[in-house]
Amino acid sequence: MSSKESCRIELRTAIRQLSDRCLYSASKWAAEQLVGIEQDPAKFTPSNTRFQRGSSSIHRRFRTNEITSTPPTGVAYVSTPVMEEDEAIHGDFYLLAKSYFDCREYRRAAHVLRDQTGKKSVFLRCYSLYLAGEKRKEEEMIELEGPLGKSDAVNRELVSLERELATLCKNNTIDPFGLYLYGLVLKEKGNENLARKVLVESVNSYPWNWSAWSELQSLCTTVDILNGLNLSNHWMKEFFLASIYQELRMHNESLSKYENLQGMFTFSNYIQAQIAKARYSLREFEQVEVIFEDLLRNDPYRLEDMDTYSNVLYTKECFSALSYLAHRVIMTDKYRPESCCIIGNYYSLKGQHEKSVVYFRRALKLNKNYLSAWTLMGHEYVEMKNTPAAVDAYRRAVDINPRDYRAWYGLGQAYEMMGMPHYALHYFRKSVFFQPIDSRLWIAMAQCYESEQLHMLEEAIKCYKRAANCNDTEAIALHRLAILHRELDQPEEAAFYYKKDLERMEAEEREGPNIVEALMFLATHYKTQKKFEEAEVYCTRLLDYTGPERETAKSLLRGMRIAQSGFPSMDVEHFHP
Amino acid sequence: MAGVVKAPGAFAITPHKVSVCILVNIYASPSQISVPFPFSSVSQHNRLGLYLLALTKSCDDILEPKLDQLINQLREVGGLLDHWLTDHVTSRLSSLSSPDDLFNFFNELRETLGGPDSGVMEDDQVILDPNSNLGMFLRRCILAFNLLTFEGICHLLTNIGIYCKEAISSCSSYELRRVDDSGNDLESLSEYENMDLNLVFKKINEEMEARKRATEQVSFHLHLPKELSTLVEDIEVFADPKSEHNDKGRESSSYASGELLRDVDPNGGVFLSTNWQIQGYLMEQADAIEKHGSSFTLNAFELTLRQLQKLAPELHRVHFLRYLNNLYHDDYFSALENLHRFFDYSAGTEGFDFVPPAGCNSFGRYEIALLCLGMMHFHFGHPKKALEVLTEAVRVAQQHSNDTCLAYTLAAICSLLSEIGFSTTSGILGSPFSPMISVGTSLSVQQQLFVLLKGSLKRAESLKLKQLVAANHLAMAKFDLTHVQRPLLSFGPKTSMKLRTCPIIVCKELRSGYHLISEFCCEGSTMTADGAFSTAWLKNLQKPMGSLVLSQDNGSRNNSNPFLFFTQPSSIPGSVMQLVGSSYLHRATAWEIYGSAPLARVNALVYATCFADASSSSDAALVHVKLIQHLAVFKGYKEAFAALKTAEEKFLCVSKSRILILKLQLLHERALHRGHLKLAQQVCDELGVLASSVTAVDMELKTEASLRHARTLLAAKQFSQAAAVAHSLFCMCYKFNLQVESATVLLLLAEIHMKSGNAVVGLPYALASLSYCQTFNLDLLRASATLTLAELWLSLGSNHAKTALTLLHGAFPMILGHGGLELCARAYITEAKCYLSDPSFSVSRNPELVLDPLRQAADELQALEHHELMAEAFYLMAIVFDKLGQPEQREEAASSFKNHVMSLDHPHDVEDPIQSDTLLNA
Repeated sequence: MSSKESCRIELRTAIRQLSDRCLYSASKWAAEQLVGIEQDPAKFTPSNTRFQRGSSSIHRRFRTNEITSTPPTGVAYVSTPVMEEDEAIHGDFYLLAKSYFDCREYRRAAHVLRDQTGKKSVFLRCYSLYLAGEKRKEEEMIELEGPLGKSDAVNRELVSLERELATLCKNNTIDPFGLYLYGLVLKEKGNENLARKVLVESVNSYPWNWSAWSELQSLCTTVDILNGLNLSNHWMKEFFLASIYQELRMHNESLSKYENLQGMFTFSNYIQAQIAKARYSLREFEQVEVIFEDLLRNDPYRLEDMDTYSNVLYTKECFSALSYLAHRVIMTDKYRPESCCIIGNYYSLKGQHEKSVVYFRRALKLNKNYLSAWTLMGHEYVEMKNTPAAVDAYRRAVDINPRDYRAWYGLGQAYEMMGMPHYALHYFRKSVFFQPIDSRLWIAMAQCYESEQLHMLEEAIKCYKRAANCNDTEAIALHRLAILHRELDQPEEAAFYYKKDLERMEAEEREGPNIVEALMFLATHYKTQKKFEEAEVYCTRLLDYTGPERETAKSLLRGMRIAQSGFPSMDVEHFHP
Repeated sequence: MAGVVKAPGAFAITPHKVSVCILVNIYASPSQISVPFPFSSVSQHNRLGLYLLALTKSCDDILEPKLDQLINQLREVGGLLDHWLTDHVTSRLSSLSSPDDLFNFFNELRETLGGPDSGVMEDDQVILDPNSNLGMFLRRCILAFNLLTFEGICHLLTNIGIYCKEAISSCSSYELRRVDDSGNDLESLSEYENMDLNLVFKKINEEMEARKRATEQVSFHLHLPKELSTLVEDIEVFADPKSEHNDKGRESSSYASGELLRDVDPNGGVFLSTNWQIQGYLMEQADAIEKHGSSFTLNAFELTLRQLQKLAPELHRVHFLRYLNNLYHDDYFSALENLHRFFDYSAGTEGFDFVPPAGCNSFGRYEIALLCLGMMHFHFGHPKKALEVLTEAVRVAQQHSNDTCLAYTLAAICSLLSEIGFSTTSGILGSPFSPMISVGTSLSVQQQLFVLLKGSLKRAESLKLKQLVAANHLAMAKFDLTHVQRPLLSFGPKTSMKLRTCPIIVCKELRSGYHLISEFCCEGSTMTADGAFSTAWLKNLQKPMGSLVLSQDNGSRNNSNPFLFFTQPSSIPGSVMQLVGSSYLHRATAWEIYGSAPLARVNALVYATCFADASSSSDAALVHVKLIQHLAVFKGYKEAFAALKTAEEKFLCVSKSRILILKLQLLHERALHRGHLKLAQQVCDELGVLASSVTAVDMELKTEASLRHARTLLAAKQFSQAAAVAHSLFCMCYKFNLQVESATVLLLLAEIHMKSGNAVVGLPYALASLSYCQTFNLDLLRASATLTLAELWLSLGSNHAKTALTLLHGAFPMILGHGGLELCARAYITEAKCYLSDPSFSVSRNPELVLDPLRQAADELQALEHHELMAEAFYLMAIVFDKLGQPEQREEAASSFKNHVMSLDHPHDVEDPIQSDTLLNA
């Protein structure tokens, strides 16, 4: 990786260039990374590093493997020369146009630049037109909703923009920003292949435009497409890869990339949040919570990715923390899909599902393709026993992203609730296909097989076995496996699983009827097997519990003693066959 | 969204509705005279009124007609007034240039409506009754307008602008021409109109050729004289509609799925305008897919569906159509995916019209999803899975007390059980059936099937599902045809039962299927959807009154209308026709089994002639197969193969397998007769491969393949192997309850033993076969078993010749009346042999008694090219002639004998086109 200083210089220039072209979210991203680069503490006063101090605790706690900032061997990063500004003298018109743009008067901005021919002016004009069209489209989408969902709202500027940008592209008088816009337009028009090509060209010649990378990412839906991209090796590519791996559910690869990047951008909030998201997908909730707490301390008004945090709080049933978060986001910006989602989660945790649905609905109104809101709304409908609505919501989530295993799982659950286990199996199968490491899915599927209508116990056992193999935190699988084997009259296997279950419960120091059940079975099982020593061990353990089992254990012990002393011949028979 | 129901078909105001409003305003302008200003007669006035009624009725749109389409329709309706009407509409529309104009316009409209106290108005004043159809429409429009937000009004305004602009730009050029220079060009145009277009083109071509020849290196920018170039342009104007017409004519005849593409396409000539039409179109396409199977183009239709989905994302039936399309193209995964998607979105409440909406609960009807899924598994040949799913469907249907679905599901299970051989259902048909199968699970599959059939029939009858009743009757007939009814109770008092099938019951069941059609004739009208009528009327408008100027164009448009043929309400729905047709098919099969060749043929012919349109392609192929088989048996191979050729052309790629199987069967039989044993074995193997294809094992075909295998072995004189094959086949038939086939196999076993010289062993088989035949009323097979029995007796020694002869004579009426060529010939030869081996019979005294049947046999065998039997016949003839002392004739017969024996030994002399090309295909 290039040195921190050169990175910093590159980013500084890029931020200036990006914000000069009104590509604000990209410049925001770049600035976040710029500040995220670890400063040399010798050079700076404490006030400069104040921003970075707070986050150091977490690094101490969680950076078990020290990450070196050296890049993997054999990778040479190309240094892309920082682009020279083509218009040394900013036209006055450009300044006016930019002010209009900053006031969100896009059409006015475009109008001011109508006769300018510099690359920068052309870009800003096209970009303003594009945004004007987008704004109008969004408005129209709400205004014109037909009975069958038909909404022919389109960005009316796309056609003329495409024509103009294509000509520029052909004449080779287009800069990377123009290419980015061209890619955007092409994507919107549905010409994905060309869009991908154009965007790759854009990021190769100007890698610091994160928006271009994000657009590119949305066009890479499979690993094959990703591998087909011809990207030059800039350090920005690492960010891209980390992000796309996460999207493609290659969480471990993504995590390692991010941790690698953290070596350089030690204090980047963005990377921290992404790591939290990756860990969330790996179901490491404890760590995620810590990361997010830390993140919020440094950046209390952050909204991005906070829905993930709320999901963690929801799973951990932290009522007050979740309400605190909800309060905070609503004070920051109540009309953000993330905010609505967090509030929805809060109401859901409180069991007020109707209200929760209202907020998820609002989130979806703000962003129709907000995947997790569809899924979460489906969950709420399931809670409200409105299965058709739940099915519908889940199905929409699945149609937006067919790899969303939660929605598949939800569909399966909904159908199971309606007493259609066989039909539900199809969905569970889909769900485990996309997320084979989640024990809950396997357990759900097994329960489906186990249901009295299907009663396919062999298949259920197979599923439980898979569940037991993938870190079944609630320890359902082992217990069920033991019971199923007992029901199928396979005492050896049943004993094996009871024993495993018992070991596990001991390790986790759990108490409950399951222990007694396991002990009871094992005692009787070993007794019938004539392995009296083992049987005795279990019987004595049973004596610690109250209830009828205790008495049974006593009588078992008594019986065994009689058998051992009273009928020695049997012992001989048994031990010397 | 299923959970939150949107206002169904929210009435939105659109440019089209605005123009309808303008027309209504014209129709009912508040004037004092009974026939308002522009109209010259009451009938003209009424005609516009009718037209407006139709327009307002079909206003729940997905796609609305464009302005130019409206103008075209107006031209049909308005007659002399069309100019005035269109001008008025367009000028009124284009005068709406600001939101305020719209406000004023709708205020004006309000004046057209009479007040609620319209009793006081004068008699001759035209005022719309607010409660009339048109009045309601106006009121709805006004209300919708009043509910619009200002943004909405702005949209309406821009849309009106687009609506007018599109009309002008896409308006056919003659329209503009007419407006622009109607005065001077009209004559010249009509001149060209009458000219033969080809001739003109030819002239141009000739001229160009001539010029080419004149100047050798002529450039491509041929400078045509101006006159000529305008001529070309003019021709294009006229040539265009004509070519379009041709195009459409072709496509509509070949059920082109591309139609909708153009229909959805805003620039297309015909448009799908209403919700009803879209639904109707989809239904039509669904029928077409089911009818034509895999010949339906997958991708073209997929494209159409995609477009449709884009236009109406909440129209979920599209997914169902996609499922059907995938299903019939054997794409398991996409079919499954789309089926699930459809039911997830629609919750089973969309598109299934046969369910009465009254009993609809709010929880969706997912049992229908299960039913469909079960049928899908059935289709893909996963009977076990299908049965599981259908079982679940039964349970869920019971739970939601959806009796209709339950009845259908039971019928589906019945057809599953009857079509696919289950040796046992234990463990599959479980608890949910207990209310129906109260007797328990000790019953055999067949008995369970019978109980299910009865239950399903009763259910369908009580729910008055006529089609299902008819289908169940057919299934019942099928069951009765091949199964002996046994008492279900294994204890308690038994009524004495004849252990045989009862043809009368079968007939009764089949007959009750017919009643369906008569019932549909009385109430057929309720089946067609409401909207179809108004649209049909709209279409028919174009027929009677065409304006004179463009009559040519009108003619072409009328014919090109692809909707015309199915918007006309037919009194009998296609599915009913199909059902009735299939009852004929069942009849044909029944007669085939009972052994009445003429009746089977007649029924097949009735089906082929009367129900060819309604039948699915596989059924049609089946009928052809039956007819061709009949030809082969009664007329010989030459004719059969000729017929096969036409059939192959007809079902080019459609359900090829059935025709292919027939071809293989014919080839096999002919090869056996000719003695091409290698070829026979090859064909037989191919049949075996077809029997266990990827989709599922076809029990029927499998049985047939091994039957043929045994026959081939027999012909190759490998008796022990043949007997082994036949024996294992019999075991299989017994296991899967294929009793009709068992009879055939037993007969074959008897024949094998007879040919191997063990007549004594053969006798019991023949007798067993006979008893099977008797039980199942297989008369023809029984006759042929009797024949075999006679042959067996005969081969036991000459002292049994009398017995054989008696047996034979008993069977003769049946054989001669219904038997095929081969059977008759065999009977004749056996008769002759009986006479000859009878010691008390003297040839010289009564030679014709022997010679006559032999000659007959030889004649009949000629068509079959059955060398072995022919040789035998000629051999016997030669012997007879020898005894009679007629050496010349003896020599003749002997040489024929020799010929046949030779060709039996050297089968490959004859080159055969069909045979070689099948092998290439295979």
